[in-house]
Amino acid sequence: MSDERRPRFPWLRSLGGTPRHEVEEELRHHLEERIREYEAAGMEPEEARRTALRRLGDLDGVEEECSELLAAEQRAEGRSTLARISWLDVRLGLRMLAKYPAMSLVSVLGMAVAVALGAGAFGSIWALMNAELPLPEGDEVVAIVTEDERAYGSPYRQVLHDFELWRGEVSSLTDVSAFRDATHNVIAADGTTELVRIAEITAAGLGVARTPPLLGRPLLPSDEGPDAEPVVVIGYDEWQRRFGGDPGVLGRTLRLGDTLHTIVGVMPEGFRFPLNHRFWMPFRLEPSAWERGRGPEIHVFARLAPATSLETARTEMAAIGEQTAAAHPESHEHLRPSVVPYALAYGVDVDSPEQAFVFRSIPFAVALLLVLVAVNVSILVYARTASRTGEIAVRSALGASRGRIVGQLFVEALVPSVLAAAAGLALSALALEQAEAWLRRTTDQVPFWWDFGISPGTAAYVAGLAVLAGVIVGVVPGLKATGRHVRGGLQEVAVRGSRMQLGRTWTTLIVAQIAVAVTVLPFVAYISGRAISAVNTSSGYAAAEIVRARVSRAPGPPPQGSDPESWATATEARFRASTSELIGRLEAAQGVRGVTFATSFPGGGRSTHVEAEGGEIQQVSLTGIGPGFFDVIGATRIAGREFGRADTGPEATSIVVDRRFAEQVFGDGNALGRRVRLVPPAAGEGGVSEPGPWREIVGVAPDVGVQLFFEPALPKMYEPLSVDQVTGVVLAVRVQGDASGFAPRLRSLAATIDPALQLTSLETAASYEQSGIQAMRFIALIMLAVTAAVLLLSAAGIYAMMSFTVAKRRREIGIRAALGASHGRVLTGIFTRAAAQVGAGVVIGLVLTALLDRALGGATFAGDAVLLLPGVALLMAAVGMVAALGPARRALAVEPTEALQEE
Amino acid sequence: MFSKDTGMLQGTVELLVLKRLSWGSMHGYGIASWIEAATDDVLRVEEGSLYPALYRMVKKGWIKGEWGVSENNRRAKFYRLTEAGRREFEEQAEGWERLSDAVTRAVAADKLSEQAAR
Repeated sequence: MSDERRPRFPWLRSLGGTPRHEVEEELRHHLEERIREYEAAGMEPEEARRTALRRLGDLDGVEEECSELLAAEQRAEGRSTLARISWLDVRLGLRMLAKYPAMSLVSVLGMAVAVALGAGAFGSIWALMNAELPLPEGDEVVAIVTEDERAYGSPYRQVLHDFELWRGEVSSLTDVSAFRDATHNVIAADGTTELVRIAEITAAGLGVARTPPLLGRPLLPSDEGPDAEPVVVIGYDEWQRRFGGDPGVLGRTLRLGDTLHTIVGVMPEGFRFPLNHRFWMPFRLEPSAWERGRGPEIHVFARLAPATSLETARTEMAAIGEQTAAAHPESHEHLRPSVVPYALAYGVDVDSPEQAFVFRSIPFAVALLLVLVAVNVSILVYARTASRTGEIAVRSALGASRGRIVGQLFVEALVPSVLAAAAGLALSALALEQAEAWLRRTTDQVPFWWDFGISPGTAAYVAGLAVLAGVIVGVVPGLKATGRHVRGGLQEVAVRGSRMQLGRTWTTLIVAQIAVAVTVLPFVAYISGRAISAVNTSSGYAAAEIVRARVSRAPGPPPQGSDPESWATATEARFRASTSELIGRLEAAQGVRGVTFATSFPGGGRSTHVEAEGGEIQQVSLTGIGPGFFDVIGATRIAGREFGRADTGPEATSIVVDRRFAEQVFGDGNALGRRVRLVPPAAGEGGVSEPGPWREIVGVAPDVGVQLFFEPALPKMYEPLSVDQVTGVVLAVRVQGDASGFAPRLRSLAATIDPALQLTSLETAASYEQSGIQAMRFIALIMLAVTAAVLLLSAAGIYAMMSFTVAKRRREIGIRAALGASHGRVLTGIFTRAAAQVGAGVVIGLVLTALLDRALGGATFAGDAVLLLPGVALLMAAVGMVAALGPARRALAVEPTEALQEE
Repeated sequence: MFSKDTGMLQGTVELLVLKRLSWGSMHGYGIASWIEAATDDVLRVEEGSLYPALYRMVKKGWIKGEWGVSENNRRAKFYRLTEAGRREFEEQAEGWERLSDAVTRAVAADKLSEQAAR
């Protein structure tokens, strides 16, 4: 090596350099000293150099040998550093937490929120995409799903004819079975009625589950015959609840709809196959009663034949599908049967590996949030580490290698990040549990095998997040703090002070983080604000006193040999008669203040377009309501009148609108007597095809119902409805006192009139509105948590930046003060840079917000909401000022003499 | 001069290095210079073998190297003795003394003692 040779990668030095560089530098020192010695003894420089080199001997060989030895030594030390990360380091980490409580709290909270979000996303997606069927050999159970190409591949279930075909033809699958997801009234001996979900399932279908019944027998093929006795198999919970666990339950009867069924079996506890069912009835659908491609919706499933792969089954089904499409193009041209694992057939619809990848990468995108938070925290830690340079120098002098020091900082950083991970995991477990409970409460359509608990995968993901946070928070600042340009031993530190700088990288990070905060906050505030205001809106009518239910009728199969069309007509007529009778009986019932009905209630309504006479075309929501509707539900009218019976004739042209309609369509709010008509929408899609007759507004009603923020707030229009005009209305019954106690009475009354009459979503109007509100409350809560975390971290970042500046420039402050600078001058001089950075972040953030708003359609900040933007900017400025108070005070408290003495 | 293939030389260098460092840390050049001076230039350490020796001693855990600033204000790698190195030095020094005593005695012995020994 000649003196002129330089290491190839000078920048590597900042990382400590390779072993080769170290050895080169050491030998270079030796040579230089030797040359100096010879020159001092009188030798010529060139000769001195030659002699020195000669003395060293085989320079390359020496470098080689020493480099290898050093590299081996460093590897061994790295291993032993890892081994030496001991309980002591953890205790140090805990002590650090206690020493800076405010900063620790901010960091841990911020990271916990990010971890909770990530774990929540990961846990949900894991539950949906890794779901397994908890049955014997459950992974061999598959579903045959027919995709409808006309409807973007959504499942097509009117496949009764295909099911017959597949049962006979498919060789890669065994036990091809089907079930229909039906609802029936279960009417107990004392008249109490419950609407339950029943699986009308083939005998082989129950066998696919490979679970023998607890009592009695399963369904048999003979139960499916047209003349077979009606039988039912019930679940364990039903057996306990309705029959007290009576061992003699077999042979007793249960009324389902208008038929008495004999109980022939009881399934074991926890059995809910195929979806979430507690009753199983024989499958009695005859394909001959319907045209191909028509009929009731059924679900088809099977088991893979022994030693057959999913791929093989898929290939065979695809071929069969093609044959069927060729043979019956009019009904099957657009249908594609496919085979999927059963457990995945009811969750996220994942068609392709690309889609699956997108879903699985969501949690890792959410993990970026943690990176953002961790980077923020590492800025705080770095600023704090700057004040520990003396400590680090002492450690170095006592023999700690760089690896050891960085390793220690990593363990120190792991302490808060592990705490944050644990807190975040607990938080997300709680949230997922609540979400699952809410889901199962509001609908029984949740597959029984879905499990949103903490899986090993989620725990591993969270552990990974903790390590990632530890690396960002501990290792990165640690490497910078122990870098080559900084190390110089104790003496140096004493002489020159810390040589750490808050360089460009950190500054950019701080500005970026402020910009992100400013960008995100307006949207978050907007969503939270809407959510909270919706939660606090009163409904405008007596929601707690009203029981509502949608009335429908179980569409049983037409009897053998009958004409399906006339059967349908007869059924409808019967349904309307039952509904009318129910309404009549309710009006006369004790404790009932009034009965009315609507096409939807509360809320809902069909979206359509109207034209005001002499005005523009508007989009509105149209609901049909019965006579006296507003009076019954307790909404005080504003102007005009209600519908009466006279309004429901075929010549009826009366319309009632709500207050929002009157204000929006007729700016002066005076709508009575004005006319509107239904028109096709401007764009020509949906709605009526030609303008309807002009209708007169006879009444203006108050705004009714809670406005959920994700529904558009459309003006409402009401048209009159009579009971014999509709199949399936929503009944609203206002009672005296507490309405929730009335629901069972209502159901029993309906069953008495017609056992096949089904009431769905039977609950008080108040609780019906609650479920939407609860979802929004949850979202608002999450938003607020994220907002608080973002603000907190921004404040902490600014605080750290300013503290660091003050600490570094103490001498300068002292000098300025000594030269007579006023407080204002001192502060301006020190904080101009910091203020500029905050200002830059705010400006960039506002620009990004505007761009984002435009990308989202430009409607987010219309109206009052536009005040959010300067509001957020002011908020950040205020946060910055508050964060700067502490450092500013310290700056002003610097005694010139003290500062100057720090030499 | 001692040549490299006297098997003793490596062990000797180690002993000398340990001795020098027992007084405090020093860089490689300083160690080499001291050995020359202390042995009156008799032992001119082949410098090519000093540094590998230093690194091997680091590996054995007898000494540790750290970068610092020399008396000429240059960056240099300083070596210091560890506890294990101190113990090793005492052992080696004692061993050397015994060896050199024994050899000295043997070389100074005359024929008379030899016969007396028989």
